[in-house]
Amino acid sequence: MTAPTPATATAVRPAPRADTAAPSPHVGDRGRTARRAIFYALLIGYALLMLVPFAWQIITSFKTEADATQLTIVPQPFTLAGWERGFLTIQPGIPQLFFNSMVIAIAVTVTNLVLGSMAGYAFARLRFPLRTVLFLLVLATLMIPDQLRLVPVYLIIRALGLITSSPLNFLGVILIMAIQAQMVFLFRQFFLSIPRDLEEAAKIDGAGYFTTFTRVMLPLAGPALAAVAILTFQGTWNSFFWPLLILQEADHWTLPLALFSFRFEFRTDWPALMSVTVAAIVPILLIYLFFQRYFVQGVAASGVKG
Amino acid sequence: MTASRFEVGRGVKGERRPEMIAAFALIAVPMLLFLVLQIGAIVYAAFISLWRWGLRGPRSFMGLDNYTSALGDPIFIKAITNTIYYVVIWVPLTMALGLFLAVIVNQKLRGQTFFRATFYFPALASSAAITVVWIFLLQPSGLFNEVREILGLNPLFRALGYTDNQNWIGTSNTAMNSIIALNAWTTSGTIMLFYLTFLQTISKEIYEAAAIDGAGAWQAFRSITFPLLRPAHFFVATLLFIGGFQLFDQAIIAGSKGGDPNNALTTIVLFIYRSAISDSEFGFAAAVGMILLVIIFTVTLIQRRVFGDAPSW
Repeated sequence: MTAPTPATATAVRPAPRADTAAPSPHVGDRGRTARRAIFYALLIGYALLMLVPFAWQIITSFKTEADATQLTIVPQPFTLAGWERGFLTIQPGIPQLFFNSMVIAIAVTVTNLVLGSMAGYAFARLRFPLRTVLFLLVLATLMIPDQLRLVPVYLIIRALGLITSSPLNFLGVILIMAIQAQMVFLFRQFFLSIPRDLEEAAKIDGAGYFTTFTRVMLPLAGPALAAVAILTFQGTWNSFFWPLLILQEADHWTLPLALFSFRFEFRTDWPALMSVTVAAIVPILLIYLFFQRYFVQGVAASGVKG
Repeated sequence: MTASRFEVGRGVKGERRPEMIAAFALIAVPMLLFLVLQIGAIVYAAFISLWRWGLRGPRSFMGLDNYTSALGDPIFIKAITNTIYYVVIWVPLTMALGLFLAVIVNQKLRGQTFFRATFYFPALASSAAITVVWIFLLQPSGLFNEVREILGLNPLFRALGYTDNQNWIGTSNTAMNSIIALNAWTTSGTIMLFYLTFLQTISKEIYEAAAIDGAGAWQAFRSITFPLLRPAHFFVATLLFIGGFQLFDQAIIAGSKGGDPNNALTTIVLFIYRSAISDSEFGFAAAVGMILLVIIFTVTLIQRRVFGDAPSW
């Protein structure tokens, strides 16, 4: 096959053999150490392979256009011209794109936190008619691929007057992404795991259902709120499909849409293109570095990539 | 469910009503969005698919004509073939890669956290950013071609029929493979995390017993780990199949709306997008969407047969 597959295959092949969770009695100490060393070398090699594209992208963003297709590791000469073109010359520039991406990502994160925790609490704790049916309906939406809804959702958003050149256009994207089933599911699972004692104590104190929800349950839901916030923010920041479908004017584009368009406009202006890709990745990278634990838990718990 | 409703009917009614009102108040907005934009949307799409439906001009009832003309459209057939080719190679490749990584980082390992974080890292970037970077790496004078020249691998690539300045994404027969490699690379980290959660439920004692019986690591993997991961295989395969049939972002970013070169990157969803947004043939596009729904549904059913019952999720 193509590109990195050969390298990948060699790095990966010794994996099961190196699975020394079950220590093999046949191998002497020296052979073991040598194998261990080879194993670590391959592991580090593969880890580097994961990082090379990102390193190359950062290096290239500081190169000149001519230098960008050379194999120079230190830019010759080092220049900020690529970033300047990416930030200001290409329209809309990075500041505007950043702002647009931020507005949509924050709005969608807030709606998912609010609506998701509300529905999650109701499905976890309150009894009401049709609860099971409605919850199954929510779960069923996990099985409907997003892209299949392209035609009807586009027409609905259009009928609402949100396919427009005004900033109301943002509202179309926010509405589509406002609530995701896996977030409701994640909140419900979390609330189910909280012991009932606290709520009953609140009830005895005369607290209603809303007070119990906002004063007792939500303050306990920190880990769930964090997981949902991080997953939603990342997913929305990176989202391509719905913004491409809904956002009309270049002034309203998000970073991924701009990359799509710039790629065809600035075919070989690699430094400028790479500067925009770096800008698009950095916020997510920072969140990942600080909240890695929640990322891993959230991905595992939701079972769906954001 | 039914029991609790009876309970509501008998006497306790006054007590239950505030709970019910609170519940409906809490779920009203989320349920409205789900019902309109998800469930309702699919029903609406099924309806639209029976009509000639543009943004302007008269609509006319077509019956199943949209479906027959889709199935008779050579480009749609090409889109289906491309998508199936992608799924058939990408799903097992990504599963194998993710499983290998999971088995590796599940061991006692120095720097375990670092390796886990690094292997998951490519999954963080947006499809747009990572695809643009990939295009840059695989362009004729890009890093990949430069490095293989330095490593002296060019004779090997020439023997396989690739030129020294191979334009990987811009050539029909390598375009889709390039996207498969890209997505296997980025998705394997996520799959690793899924497998890890399942791997951690397997007790160490089984391996110890196997080691006493003289089983090597490969044997232990083949006869213990792999079969015990059956629910994980099902879960991961389902996710990847559904995801694979939706291939769109990377295809349109690398090949633009035309799925260039020569429709090599035209996937089913790209075809839907083109029919709806570029050609304003919403009825036709909706019909193609319904066909995709049937394909995904069938594949999921077949998988259920292959892997046995679904886990409880």
